[in-house]
Amino acid sequence: MDFNLTPLNKMVIKTARAFCETEIPAIDAYMKEHNDYPPYLQEIFAKHHMLGMDIPKELGGIGADNFNLILIAEEVGKTASTCMLPFFMNNSVAETICHWGTEEVIKKFVPPLCDGTAWASMAFTEPNTGSDPRALTLTAEPDGDDFILNGTKRFISMANKPGPGVFFAKDLSMKGKPFDTTAFIVDKMSPGITFSGHYELMGLDGADTCDVFFTDVRVPKANILGRQGKGFPILLRWIAGERIQQCAATIGGGQAALDESVKYGNQRVVGGFPMGYMQGFSWMLADMKTRVEACRLLCYKTVKLQDEKNKGFEAASSELKVLTVPLIQEVCRQAVQFHGSYGYSKEYKVEKIFRNAMHLGVVASSLEINKTIAGMTILTQK
Amino acid sequence: MKIIVCIKQVPDVTEVKWDENGSLIRTGLPSIINPNDKNAIEAALTLKEEKGAEITVVSMGPPQVEEALREAMAMGCDHAVLLTDRKFGGADCWATAYTLGMAIKKLGHFDLIFSGVEAMDGNTAQVGPEIADFLGLPLLSYAEAIEVGEGTVKIHQKLGDLTRVIEGPMPALITCEKELNVPRIPRMDLVFECFEKEIKVLGMADVDGELENFGLKGSPTRLRKVFSPKRAKAQVEFLEGTPKESSQKLVEKLHEINAI
Ligand SMILES: Cc1cc2nc3c(=O)[nH]c(=O)nc-3n(C[C@H](O)[C@H](O)[C@@H](O)COP(=O)(O)OP(=O)(O)OC[C@H]3O[C@@H](n4cnc5c(N)ncnc54)[C@H](O)[C@@H]3O)c2cc1C
Ligand SMILES: Cc1cc2nc3c(=O)[nH]c(=O)nc-3n(C[C@H](O)[C@H](O)[C@H](O)COP(=O)(O)OP(=O)(O)OC[C@H]3O[C@@H](n4cnc5c(N)ncnc54)[C@H](O)[C@@H]3O)c2cc1C
Repeated sequence: MDFNLTPLNKMVIKTARAFCETEIPAIDAYMKEHNDYPPYLQEIFAKHHMLGMDIPKELGGIGADNFNLILIAEEVGKTASTCMLPFFMNNSVAETICHWGTEEVIKKFVPPLCDGTAWASMAFTEPNTGSDPRALTLTAEPDGDDFILNGTKRFISMANKPGPGVFFAKDLSMKGKPFDTTAFIVDKMSPGITFSGHYELMGLDGADTCDVFFTDVRVPKANILGRQGKGFPILLRWIAGERIQQCAATIGGGQAALDESVKYGNQRVVGGFPMGYMQGFSWMLADMKTRVEACRLLCYKTVKLQDEKNKGFEAASSELKVLTVPLIQEVCRQAVQFHGSYGYSKEYKVEKIFRNAMHLGVVASSLEINKTIAGMTILTQK
Repeated sequence: MKIIVCIKQVPDVTEVKWDENGSLIRTGLPSIINPNDKNAIEAALTLKEEKGAEITVVSMGPPQVEEALREAMAMGCDHAVLLTDRKFGGADCWATAYTLGMAIKKLGHFDLIFSGVEAMDGNTAQVGPEIADFLGLPLLSYAEAIEVGEGTVKIHQKLGDLTRVIEGPMPALITCEKELNVPRIPRMDLVFECFEKEIKVLGMADVDGELENFGLKGSPTRLRKVFSPKRAKAQVEFLEGTPKESSQKLVEKLHEINAI
């Protein structure tokens, strides 16, 4: 077993850091002023060729792997910038369409997600559920060469930005069948689609998450992703990958929280010497460091499994979330505590990192769902 | 157009430290591409985008210089050549320019050579001009703007408060200032590609030349000693008393040293 990063991995990290230093301050400044992403955000990622990491070059991707994507995710996570969400989404949705889509669908939707002209979304959650496919109420009714969609999606990220979204709906033509969830690739600017305003969130400042209302929206049959009634496995596979990326970014946030604390512990003088040297605080740093390190190692192991391609990684990805959510949230809480009242002030980065870390337990499948997935897998594995 | 860019890998420090023998203390320091050389790379890449060009980066140094060459390719350079040989070790500017010059002759036709103005660790600003001299090329130094015409090249030469516009026929050698541009960061797809590319490695036998001209042997300059000169520190004196008293004392002091 080799725990060392290759020269390529190291250059990916160095390049990601350079990207964060040169591009993210202006992105964050825009988001602070407008409470939304810059309209040209995906083009910035595309300019640096950071979209389509796991997509073949012929389709405009990089032809790399998920391990290196995770290394970038960690660096972006360290900045605590919300711009990580659209970056992950374009990458993971393009990969999902490539995995399940017909040649026609792939050719149509994947290149714009790689060149940054389109914004991807993945829409499952509704007012009444974020976890149960049987409870979906967005309906899809066949009509000639199209389906007609009606209903509401809730909390959808990047929904009001142009580009394709994968929307999961109750397929009325599958009535009576055991599985009736079908995944449709929907042009989010289609006639009949309207949006609510952005949700005011605890963290992820500037995120555009909103509700999507469908009134007789026509979607061509050719835009069905995978097979009719087989939408839920698409969601589960996508979310398993997205989870690893979000865990990696949150682990990056944990690392940044630790780094900030080390800096503060060396600077802030209490009783004549730097406060970090008080045993209570140095022990806290030891806790934080080991927690971040443990999560990072499991994250690397999980993404290696994903990159093996031929093995399932859904349960492993759930286990990663089961470990990462409580540990990194605790690291971020410790960082706030470490900074005293300053940690509670917006002047210090740990305040933002803490708020961001809270999202990991409730977004892209809740912690509890992941415990259920992981636990049931343990019970049923042979 | 064919462009050659000479780059040096240097330790990433603003304050270089030497041991008692005058050798650079490199251990534990990350290495970077010399900052001016990144300006040289950027200048070449800009020309590539504007007029089309094939760019070869060349560096002399130990095997770990590979990292710097790969980074240059991740920025967009097409080929890389590493000049490495124990016999190249201990080179001064003359021997460095000789080795680079011999290698460049081997690489065949070129239209422009770019180098940085100076290296952040050695700071002699000699290597570029010496390569030009060795290859009999016009030297356009301290460039803060570059314009390529039909068979000629024009630069804005930075001379303190003055700027001089000079022009020369190609092929020519240009040394690049930091004012020339803002170097781009590597592109993520090229980061992956650069590890698939081959780096041409040349040793002494490959570049021909006379044995006695390479490395320490070929270096007329000897680095005898490096030390930090003792600088007298300014003394601070506090003038006690009420504002009025202390300002009177200050006036007396200034009179004493004939400052007023
Ligand atoms: C403290 C100190 C003082 C020194 N003083 C002298 C001295 O007075 N005289 C002397 O002859 N030598 C001297 N040397 C040695 C000299 O610095 C290097 O050995 C020489 O190889 C390069 O000179 P430079 O670093 O000053 O480069 P500079 O001449 O400052 O570099 C200018 C440009 O030349 C190119 N270049 C330089 N080195 C390479 C390389 N290895 N490969 C590819 N391109 C390169 C780069 O584009 C660079 O930007 C000194 C070294 C040290 C550490
Ligand atoms: C910033 C943000 C962005 C978001 N972006 C998107 C997006 O782009 N697309 C999208 O589809 N959604 C998005 N969501 C929604 C989010 O993914 C869901 O809210 C989340 O999956 C949980 O769903 P819910 O809140 O409806 O929980 P419910 O499904 O209503 O569940 C309620 C509670 O019961 C628990 N629970 C439910 N079922 C089980 C079970 N079987 N075992 C154990 N516990 C269970 C859950 O953990 C939860 O705590 C976003 C949310 C936020 C805050």
